[in-house]
Amino acid sequence: MNDREKLLKKVQMYSFAVTDAALFLDTHPECADALAFYNKYKKLCSEAKAQYEQAYGPLDIDSEQNNARWAWVDGPFPWELSAN
Amino acid sequence: MWKYEKKLEYPVKIKKTDPTAAKIIITQFGGPDGELGAAMRYLSQRYTAPTPEIKAILNDIGTEELGHMEMICSIVYQLTRNLTPKEIKESGFDAYFVDHTNGLYPVQAAGVPFSAQIFQSTGDPIADLSEDMGAEATII
Repeated sequence: MNDREKLLKKVQMYSFAVTDAALFLDTHPECADALAFYNKYKKLCSEAKAQYEQAYGPLDIDSEQNNARWAWVDGPFPWELSAN
Repeated sequence: MWKYEKKLEYPVKIKKTDPTAAKIIITQFGGPDGELGAAMRYLSQRYTAPTPEIKAILNDIGTEELGHMEMICSIVYQLTRNLTPKEIKESGFDAYFVDHTNGLYPVQAAGVPFSAQIFQSTGDPIADLSEDMGAEATII
């Protein structure tokens, strides 16, 4: 696993925790523990995403990495072998 | 409105092609218990959900199912790269290939195209919930 793959895996791991916590919060919006868990992983996810985007290009269409040049179109796209 | 994240929910990295496996796995894309049906089920049912919590969960699960669909399609796409005519014929992938080549088309394993008839949206929360429980018993 190269550095890009490792960093992407980190983003995916934190992002999965955020997504799962959000689903739980949808039906338990008053749960303070779940919200604390969500906030913790949201922060870690944002940091990992920023680090990834700076090195390897945008993950979101409104990423700052698109400001100087429209890097959004750069491959590989997520379904391609070399993106994973 | 939706926003795309340019990554899979979980990595898909399949180095060895396998059209025989792809023929089976594609049903999780367009089959009766596939991800496309799951996404459409929840995103259709959410409008008439009775409480904010249920609206939110149907919205967000429906959205996540689209991410699952993307992973399944990535698996099928990677399993069917660079096939030789011999591999296509011998694996039985030829029946799909003749119409769709390497394009991703939502079908059941037996080749029947995706149909909205595989799910229901009734406007009745108990009926919809029962439908969802039946579906979730089979969905990855």
